[in-house]
Amino acid sequence: MSTSGMFADLPVDVGLAHEGERVRKPQMHIEFGGPDVKEKFELLRVKDPEEVEDGKITIVGPDVQDLEEGGSFPFGIYVEVSGEKLEVEMEGVMERRIHDFCNYIEGFMHLNQRDSIWLRLDKKAVKKGLNLEVTGKALQRLFKSEMAIIEKIQITFITDPKKVKKRFQEALEIYEGRDARARGMTDNDVDVFYGCTLCQSFAPSHICVISAQRYANCGAISWFDGRAAAKVDPKGPVFEIPKEKCLDEWKGEYEGINKIVSEKSLGEISRVQLYTAFGYPHTSCGCFEITTFYVPECDGLGVVHRDFRGQTPSGLTFGAIADSTGGGRQVDGFHGISFEYMRSPKFLQVDGGWNRIIWLPTEVKEKLKEYIPAELYDKIATEADATDITALKEFLREKGHPVVEKWVETLPEAVEAPMLEVMPVSTPSSGGITIILKNAKIHAEKVIIKRAK
Amino acid sequence: MTRQDNMGKIIAVSGKGGVGKTILASLLIRKLVTTGHRSILAIDADPDSNLPDTLGVSVERSLGDIREELIAKQSELPPDYSKMAWLDAKVLEIMAEMPSFDVIVMGKPEGPGCYCAVNHMLRSIIDSLPRRYDYTVIDAEAGLEHLSRRTTQGVDDMIVVTDMSIHGFKTAERIKNLSKELGIDFKHLYLVVNRVDPSHEKSISEKAKSTGLEFAGVIPEEKDITEYNLVGKSLLDLPESSPAVKAVGEIAKKIRLL
Repeated sequence: MSTSGMFADLPVDVGLAHEGERVRKPQMHIEFGGPDVKEKFELLRVKDPEEVEDGKITIVGPDVQDLEEGGSFPFGIYVEVSGEKLEVEMEGVMERRIHDFCNYIEGFMHLNQRDSIWLRLDKKAVKKGLNLEVTGKALQRLFKSEMAIIEKIQITFITDPKKVKKRFQEALEIYEGRDARARGMTDNDVDVFYGCTLCQSFAPSHICVISAQRYANCGAISWFDGRAAAKVDPKGPVFEIPKEKCLDEWKGEYEGINKIVSEKSLGEISRVQLYTAFGYPHTSCGCFEITTFYVPECDGLGVVHRDFRGQTPSGLTFGAIADSTGGGRQVDGFHGISFEYMRSPKFLQVDGGWNRIIWLPTEVKEKLKEYIPAELYDKIATEADATDITALKEFLREKGHPVVEKWVETLPEAVEAPMLEVMPVSTPSSGGITIILKNAKIHAEKVIIKRAK
Repeated sequence: MTRQDNMGKIIAVSGKGGVGKTILASLLIRKLVTTGHRSILAIDADPDSNLPDTLGVSVERSLGDIREELIAKQSELPPDYSKMAWLDAKVLEIMAEMPSFDVIVMGKPEGPGCYCAVNHMLRSIIDSLPRRYDYTVIDAEAGLEHLSRRTTQGVDDMIVVTDMSIHGFKTAERIKNLSKELGIDFKHLYLVVNRVDPSHEKSISEKAKSTGLEFAGVIPEEKDITEYNLVGKSLLDLPESSPAVKAVGEIAKKIRLL
């Protein structure tokens, strides 16, 4: 980006070189927002052309030079843009650029987003003439030069505390609407998914596939985080996965996913279906927030989270279940997932979704209350209802859980527990090697492990 | 910490637990402050240390705390809310900002959950911090873990502190050997001997040279420091006449800190 000419009339320099500058407290002239100020926001809206006066900058309240040095003030930035190709859906992405562009300005620090923004202006830069008027000019030129689809742009800065308060409430409502739209975004709406290999250091065959409706297992990376990370560092551990041909929409199988998973797992995993815990489930790393466990006696799935200290009705703890599926494997019914995925409409849809869930800890039940179908809420057992299989079956039968309909008279006794593949799994803390045994059944009278000499 | 372009000088102080790493780190910072430097970052990377206390500042929250906070609330954050930006602001929020230096505390090591993704984000933020300062001084974790965890790999100069015990010297040699084994290439690897009794100074200096580390000097045993530490007084307030302050002044010269 060449900035020399474009900003020559401004009293401070504007350009990429200033990105990442931090204004330390002793150098700061004033601060807008930040942890000590409750009301602050930044908002970008797409408007009709007649509502936007290109180049207009409005400052509601005092500008920088009229505010007391050293203070922290309530603040709002309201950017309105118009353009033939602009869509409301782009507001969030364009709004994030306010952060980048502010940081291009010499002596201007911008941190965080939305109603958490934290801005600092450097003393020297203010002395040179940096104020909101100048900031507005820089932002307008940067927006228009970096995003050609913006035809008109006007910016309003609000520093009058009363006005900030009022506009802050409006901003919160707009964020809420945007969140509702983002939560409603489906895997069909997007062209790319994201992959993450951060956990490969201890789960060498694991690749997280992050779709709009399936969060990373660790709960830390949403589709939006994936998009942001891949943009900053496309060759990094978080990268784009083009969806390519959809092989099975119901199960969530895509050619693009299978290709990348085969490649990045060095052939270990060849197929992944996103919305099921059986057959070709998404692999489990070691970081998952929650794991499912299959209870053959009930033909249902239990769910247990990392913080649950007790035993599940199967007699296994979170740790034991995690060990049996972690490390980048596909184990039927034992499936590492995130809380956010349990809020998704795609949540294990192939297996029956919530209708297949028979047990979960109280804490999880409370946390996900509004996402559990109302008619099922009382039919799913917790540790207060059942701590062993007999009690669990009794509870499910009594409450009329959907899985009960499928129980054949003889089924519960006749089903043999599926053989769990037990493999040595390397854990994050230990070194050593991972041994992968394929289709192995090992029968042994006795196993002796000796210390190497 | 990974070395990036345009960074100021990064110095780490390590050694066996209890040998006086924090004292040396504090007095190096004191030296920088008193010679007029105004852009210093102090990183307390020892979960069992108290660098903020010896610098006379209070730091309530650590990086460990904000990592926990993010893990706990990540599923409540709005879908398109950038966690990286959230962390970036939190890092500044938990920093103590003093007139000449900032202090950040790493805090407790990872808990039982797995934080790959969050740690990855946090690490990239921490790695970029020294770029914004002329000097970064790290009070490293005691022992060798900081090497295998690669928290000190972007460091220019590593100063290993030992007391007069053979155990401290052994740790120093292990740090040298392990960093070589792991391919961590410090520009200089120095040795400083703390709590030295003047009558032993000569034999100590010979012993120090035999370790293969560059010998940067000794710090005498000083009653004042013990007293300051006892009441929690900042070591930055030690008088210029203090023998330890003078000794660290000499060390600073030797390692071409200024």
